[in-house]
Amino acid sequence: MAITDLPMLSMLRTKMQWHQERQRVLAENVSNSDTPNFRPRDLVEPSFDKTGINGMHEISMVRTSASHIQAAGVSEAFGSNTNGGYETRPAGNAVNIEDEMLKVASNQMDYAAAASLYTKSLDLIKTAIGKR
Amino acid sequence: MAESMDFLKSMSIATSGLRAQAGRMRVISENIANADSTASTAGGDPYRRKVPTFTSTLDRALDAQVVSLGRIKTDTTSSFRIKHEPGNPAADANGNVKYPNVNSLVEMTDMREAQRSYEANLNIISATRRMIQRTLDILKA
Repeated sequence: MAITDLPMLSMLRTKMQWHQERQRVLAENVSNSDTPNFRPRDLVEPSFDKTGINGMHEISMVRTSASHIQAAGVSEAFGSNTNGGYETRPAGNAVNIEDEMLKVASNQMDYAAAASLYTKSLDLIKTAIGKR
Repeated sequence: MAESMDFLKSMSIATSGLRAQAGRMRVISENIANADSTASTAGGDPYRRKVPTFTSTLDRALDAQVVSLGRIKTDTTSSFRIKHEPGNPAADANGNVKYPNVNSLVEMTDMREAQRSYEANLNIISATRRMIQRTLDILKA
């Protein structure tokens, strides 16, 4: 069993991947904040069951061969939520920059929390194997 | 692993936003600089205000919706400012001179908006940079 298979670490890893993916989606929203008819997107938060396995079931096109190109624009592991945006400007753009900045800041802080928890978990393992 | 490049993807997307907003600034400054450019011939049309457009395009390498500056169009709906200046070389037979349809108030408002969007994209880059730094901190611990 590899170290990364520990439930604690794999949970944190999933969470960090989710934050990474969310950062990408938020960057898309902000860079398109002046594009007509652009609607912002967000990711659905991952949920974990008792065993620490990500309970999200992805919906994406099935690849029948490894050499096929993956369907573009579909996030691989996390569901996306497109009902964001409650004020639409006349040009059809629904991105609210303040809202996005708030999301970016909270995303960054949660990522930092997950990263430091990961460090602490590694410290725990180091203690167990008697390194310190 | 494709996921390991995601932070760099976020940065590239934000960079596309920076580039688009910088292009918009260029068009705005062109408009402001030419706010009083009259025609070179008598009775001719002066400088016409330019309008930048944005389009959202799918970058296949990044697998993301990046923004790019679309066609730069000219504003044909608003009319030219007309002043009575018989001594001006660009004046028509009645002594009227057409001045560009540039409204400096509108341009200033657009400039502020471009500036704000530019800063928002910069903010994304610095936030992503801090996240990468946190990831590297795991290795240091």
